[in-house]
Amino acid sequence: MTVLAALFPTDHFLIMTLYALLVSIFFSVLWANERRERIRLFAKIFGALVLGGLAVAWLMYPFPK
Amino acid sequence: MSQEKRTPSPGAWIAVVLAWVFPGLGHYYLGRRSRALVYAVLVTVTFVFGLSFQGRLYSPEQGAPLTLLATFAVFGSGLLNIAGRLLVENPRGAILAVTYEYGCAFLLTAGLMNLLLMLDAYDIAAGRKS
Repeated sequence: MTVLAALFPTDHFLIMTLYALLVSIFFSVLWANERRERIRLFAKIFGALVLGGLAVAWLMYPFPK
Repeated sequence: MSQEKRTPSPGAWIAVVLAWVFPGLGHYYLGRRSRALVYAVLVTVTFVFGLSFQGRLYSPEQGAPLTLLATFAVFGSGLLNIAGRLLVENPRGAILAVTYEYGCAFLLTAGLMNLLLMLDAYDIAAGRKS
């Protein structure tokens, strides 16, 4: 199993983006029926997850570890 | 305002059980074959990434009530969870690994996705969703 992880860089941003990608594809297929609607929903969820993650990371930056 | 109550057919419960056994199987049973394939791939990939990131397949622990919720979420993955526990060297994950928290998030998400798929399969079979 670690082979797959070795193929994927242990970069926080990349893993977060992979997570956002999987979750947004899942919900766009689950919640939307038409292709156009699906693409729009995918873009919204993906953007919200990635940009939201970056915003939270930026807000947390001043705090000590 | 009166709401019409329908009694779901036994097929609805079969779809729910199949959806739990393997992601997408409930939708396949209901004739949503292309969706079933997409769900199977998405949930399986999320689960396998969770294991490869050395996340934890939760079990209930004394004094840690939240592990009950996490266990419920992970058990949502059905056979994937059982296979993972049998095949992976350390189902408790590697807490010191950099990717441990990510792995846990991926494993919990895969289980929760499949729980949603079970509800979705029920809704389709009961005629609440097209």
